[in-house]
Amino acid sequence: MLIIDKELCIGCGICESACPFGAIAVADGCAVVGDGCTLCGTCVETCDPGALKIEEAEKSAPLDLASWSGVWVYGEFRRGALAPVSLELLGIGRRLADTRKVPLSAVLIGSETGDTARQLIAHGADTVYRIDDPALAHFTDEAYGAIMTSLIQKNKPEIVLAGATAIGRSFIPGVATSLGAGLTADCTQLAIREEDGALLQTRPAFGGNIMATIVCPNSRPQMSTVRPKVMQALVFDAERQGNIVDVKPTPEQLATRVRVIESVVSEEDNVNIQESDILVAGGRGLDNAKGFTLMRELAASLGGAVAATRAVVDAGWIGYPHQVGQTGKTVAPKLYIACGISGAVQHVAGMQSAETIVAINRDKDAPIFDVADFGLVGDLFEIVPKLLTKIEEHRKS
Amino acid sequence: MKIIVCIKQVPDAKDVRLDPKTNTLAREGVQSIMNPYDQHAVEEAVRLKELLGGEVTVLSMGPPQAEKVLRQAISCGADHAVLVSDRAFAGADTWATSYTLAKAVNVIGAFDLLLCGKQAIDGDTAQVGPGLAMRLQIPYVTCVQKVRKATDTGLVLERMMDDGYDVLALDYPALLTVVKDINEPRVPSLKGKMRAKKVEIRKLTAADIGADPACIGLPGSPTQVVKVFPPEARCKRAVFTGSLDDQIGQLVDSLQSYL
Ligand SMILES: Cc1cc2nc3c(=O)[nH]c(=O)nc-3n(C[C@H](O)[C@H](O)[C@H](O)COP(=O)(O)OP(=O)(O)OC[C@H]3O[C@@H](n4cnc5c(N)ncnc54)[C@H](O)[C@@H]3O)c2cc1C
Ligand SMILES: Nc1ncnc2c1ncn2[C@@H]1O[C@H](COP(=O)(O)O)[C@@H](O)[C@H]1O
Repeated sequence: MLIIDKELCIGCGICESACPFGAIAVADGCAVVGDGCTLCGTCVETCDPGALKIEEAEKSAPLDLASWSGVWVYGEFRRGALAPVSLELLGIGRRLADTRKVPLSAVLIGSETGDTARQLIAHGADTVYRIDDPALAHFTDEAYGAIMTSLIQKNKPEIVLAGATAIGRSFIPGVATSLGAGLTADCTQLAIREEDGALLQTRPAFGGNIMATIVCPNSRPQMSTVRPKVMQALVFDAERQGNIVDVKPTPEQLATRVRVIESVVSEEDNVNIQESDILVAGGRGLDNAKGFTLMRELAASLGGAVAATRAVVDAGWIGYPHQVGQTGKTVAPKLYIACGISGAVQHVAGMQSAETIVAINRDKDAPIFDVADFGLVGDLFEIVPKLLTKIEEHRKS
Repeated sequence: MKIIVCIKQVPDAKDVRLDPKTNTLAREGVQSIMNPYDQHAVEEAVRLKELLGGEVTVLSMGPPQAEKVLRQAISCGADHAVLVSDRAFAGADTWATSYTLAKAVNVIGAFDLLLCGKQAIDGDTAQVGPGLAMRLQIPYVTCVQKVRKATDTGLVLERMMDDGYDVLALDYPALLTVVKDINEPRVPSLKGKMRAKKVEIRKLTAADIGADPACIGLPGSPTQVVKVFPPEARCKRAVFTGSLDDQIGQLVDSLQSYL
């Protein structure tokens, strides 16, 4: 419950304007909390007189937190390859494990994983739990989830990280629910709190308009999915030593009620825009589907992939997997070039954490320029071809 | 077919933004809307009902004003609406939310299919759907982009993946979360709007669903927000000068490290 100390409240109204939910209002010189309150704590921070407090209700006895130890990373393996985010997770996982002075382990689930376990070790893992079985050739939430859950129950790691990918965001929430563990989605920063060793999980909320830091004080493991491209992988070190523990799945774990009929790699969607360092994004300014030819050319020249706004996806100019924004994907590439995109909040929500943003738009007042590091005002059909030529020239010189 | 759709009322993104001067959240006239993904979930439920017969119940956990989105769903073709509302639910994270919704589903009764949006745009977690399925011990599929085939006993679906899609088959009961590609939501009909005005919304409290106080709201939430702060400001925009050609040259120079 949010408690308001009527003695201390001076009715200044700062909490009222700070509340993202419009759930607090000043009436008769004192703050009053309404039904929309989600106990997010924003108001508590802004209250100088200290009149606001979130009262934590009585907790049932916390479980034995100290018996959980070690950091785990889910090594996502699909179609014979490791998802790049898994190596990034090992990078941050190593840092967390070293700070906590505990080992770092990776879980590898799949079929015909070859020397992938070795790769995980070379990238930082001390131990790899390998579950390699023909029945695991296709991802299913039930089998992967059951295996992960039972490994965690048995080995009791204090922290479990997975990539915020289609797969990670699908089965990890099921695992967390079964374990009664807290799960923080889409983290962009992870650190250990000095006082008590708790995992500080920071993530964007409200389409990136605010950042929130989250802890799981009374439950273990502490689980997070982590956005691709925000953490740094360690350099590959073939000399690094580690153990590989092979675990055999039980028939019950492999039984699933969802049957995979086929798994289709789409030609066009083959590039996962969340894993790309450079994105060339097109909007309605491209005029029609053919405009994307130009975007593909620029992307090819830069070694990047093509992204799009909802407006052009809805118009059928390009597929939904390319959509960036609130109802599409959230991306954080190194370079994002927005061509003929107005910069609606719903679009910006999905790309504002890019390292560098370039905007090309003929309307100098387009909101995209508010988030752009570099802006060119003009016709994209004139600018992009020239840009391509200049890039070529630059490369030659 | 008995279908239940979980819908959430969320603040409209275009109203929620940081005041650049004070670094607090400006919330002047924040409008509440139905979570966009949930509109697609409601639409898919209504289409399945039209195809196979049956009824659609929409369910929301939220403050009393969440009634608005339930009525909106009725106007788009849902038959019944249930609102679980109690001050004790405040501060619920996805774990406590899925617990509460699971308890409410049990009160509503038997169902064949449960639909959720892929994620809610306020928290963007995408965790409630899978959590709810685990609690009800039914299989689930996330990010469904197409229902290829629907019969009285089960479904064939396409699930969006990062590199394409998977084609999956399952029998009821099951839970799906949907992405916006799955359909184009209809606009409410006049008849629907009339019904939405009059429909009685069933209200349930924490006691009505038999919720354990230790599992709901803040006490039931393993995750706790300890700090909220503005994201790092982006650096100032560089302005190029000169002819367009010069400007493009300057841009290429600035982008050197990426080339
Ligand atoms: C609930 C909801 C969810 C949404 N989710 C998303 C989402 O996930 N992603 C998303 O992108 N949008 C989303 N939207 C839509 C969003 O509000 C905008 O409508 C959309 O982003 C606009 O796309 P656009 O920039 O391509 O088109 P427009 O807004 O039409 O902008 C086109 C721009 O191109 C410029 N232009 C035109 N011709 C040229 C030229 N020759 N050279 C240079 N510039 C040119 C124009 O000046 C204009 O600024 C959502 C909306 C809602 C309501
Ligand atoms: N309070 C709620 N009431 C009803 N449904 C909800 C609620 N919260 C989440 N959901 C459902 O779960 C989906 C995913 O939400 P989230 O996990 O919060 O991103 C939403 O699209 C809704 O279908």
